[in-house]
Amino acid sequence: MTSAINPQPLTFPRPIFAAVSPHPFLQAHLRSSTSSKPFRANGRLVTEFRPLGVNPGSLTHCNGSAVVRTGNTSVVCGVRAEILREEDIPGTQTYGAGAGATAGEKDGDEHMEGSEEQEEEEEEDDGAEIADLHLLVPNIELSTGSTPTTLPGNAPSSLAQTLISRINSLLHSTRLLRAKDLRITYTPSINPEDPYSAPETVVKGYWVLYIDIFFISLDGNPFDAAWLGILAALKSTKLPKAFYDEELEMILCSDSPSEAKPLRLRGLPVTCTFAVFEGQAQDDGEERKDWILSDPDAFEEAICRESVTVVLEKGGLMRVEKNGGGAVGRDEMKSLVKRSKERWAVWEAVLGKA
Amino acid sequence: MSPTALLSHLHRADGSATYTHAGYTLIGSVNGPIEVQRRDEQPEEATVEVNIRSAAGVGSPKERHLETVLHNTLRSVILTRSIPRTLVQITLQVKSFPEEESVSGVGSSLSLLPHLLHTSLLALLSASIPLSTILTSVLIAIPSSKSKSESTSPLVSPTAAELLRATPIQSTHVFAFSGDRRLLLNESEGTFNYDEWEEACEMAEEVCCKEGGVGGVDIGEGMEVDGQEDGNLEKWLRDVVAKKVGEEQRWRVA
Repeated sequence: MTSAINPQPLTFPRPIFAAVSPHPFLQAHLRSSTSSKPFRANGRLVTEFRPLGVNPGSLTHCNGSAVVRTGNTSVVCGVRAEILREEDIPGTQTYGAGAGATAGEKDGDEHMEGSEEQEEEEEEDDGAEIADLHLLVPNIELSTGSTPTTLPGNAPSSLAQTLISRINSLLHSTRLLRAKDLRITYTPSINPEDPYSAPETVVKGYWVLYIDIFFISLDGNPFDAAWLGILAALKSTKLPKAFYDEELEMILCSDSPSEAKPLRLRGLPVTCTFAVFEGQAQDDGEERKDWILSDPDAFEEAICRESVTVVLEKGGLMRVEKNGGGAVGRDEMKSLVKRSKERWAVWEAVLGKA
Repeated sequence: MSPTALLSHLHRADGSATYTHAGYTLIGSVNGPIEVQRRDEQPEEATVEVNIRSAAGVGSPKERHLETVLHNTLRSVILTRSIPRTLVQITLQVKSFPEEESVSGVGSSLSLLPHLLHTSLLALLSASIPLSTILTSVLIAIPSSKSKSESTSPLVSPTAAELLRATPIQSTHVFAFSGDRRLLLNESEGTFNYDEWEEACEMAEEVCCKEGGVGGVDIGEGMEVDGQEDGNLEKWLRDVVAKKVGEEQRWRVA
């Protein structure tokens, strides 16, 4: 009788295991950590986000720019302002330019309280003006080589188009920019219609902001990186002083940088994306478990089906997007909102220092 | 007013549904399981493809975004592992939308989403694609309160005209629940806090899948038309399919 050969357990080197069976690889990490805080294959805790790096104002030919990094995801964002002349605007719709623009406009922001109240009145028309005239034009490009799936010479992929659509919708729904900052107004010296009454301020044109987001490398969570890039770039944006010249009958810009106005942002909306990893039932009889991973990288994004994005401001939520599965219910959402609130403080610190 | 639907009316598609509700009419067709392109083939699952065509104009990034959202949501409901290496192709055409939609203050993507989900689910049922559960979806709009003391109650599944009357809208929420009461999809936008969100979520769950099928929640005024009480979207869904099956079986039963 021959003695049975003891079967050797099959072992893989770490990268082979990750490539051949990614799902069990991540699950092994999450289950095997003996401490109460499970960690992921990239060494981060389940609730840990990647550190942020923001470098604003680096591009010379843009009105505002920023290079932003979260882990291995790097994004360059540039904001370029072009003028849209009033005579080129189709249609006859006029917006609330006259209302807020008469009194405080020329003096700038000297009386903050007064202009704050005026803003409250303007706020309702604000979003419509910016949206209808398309004053904000975001574009996202996933450059060749940013991910293995991005090949040169193709039309924008579904992922790029989805990102653009979400960013565009978020820019408008958060009312980040004020229409007042983008208007180029003109108050004539005398009222052409009635020399005895005060001259009315008219809108002669608008600044249109072309916001270009370029991904140098993509390692998961493009949405948060793109939004951080936009916030940093807009904060560093300076619009030259534009005025309408009566004689030449055109809009001119002042050459001196001291007359340029920085762009004001309304609040600070911060985005946080999470991915849900659905564990599979194991043979050892332990219950099936799900983990909600903060700030997923590319490896985790490929094996997670469900994702949640929370956009919040200091005072409350502004957007929630969730699809792909049914693991996150009301209770889980509460804890995600809590994680996002903590993350808000980190973004504020990073953007404040930049 | 409860929605109406017509099933399996397109003869060359594996499954089809036309869905009408509050001025929106959508046609959905499903083909599957059919042969898949080699590059899209997945060894252990079916590939799901969603195409959305809008009522006017060509497809834009907005439609691509809706396609991605729908794709992710439907993929979690279709039993893709039971039909590996095949394709389930879902095409949705928006035939009409209410005139007041563009000025209602709610993004057209959000207001379209529940209707897209219902149309695609009905078309999938019509095509007999294996599903793990059904899903129902509803839109909740919270108008902003005119005065600080008065709080406004959320509008459940409002028509475009109702939304216009209630402007300005402070926040809009779309929820989709599965048959086993799990939250499958949520798109919320506006200005709101967690408590408002939770309240809207609870209201949506009531409308979508309240137990017993007879709801205490009014979807709208005049719900008790013809003595019918529709409080529950899930019950409506079952009724639509039951009616269709009953019609098809009439010779067998006679």
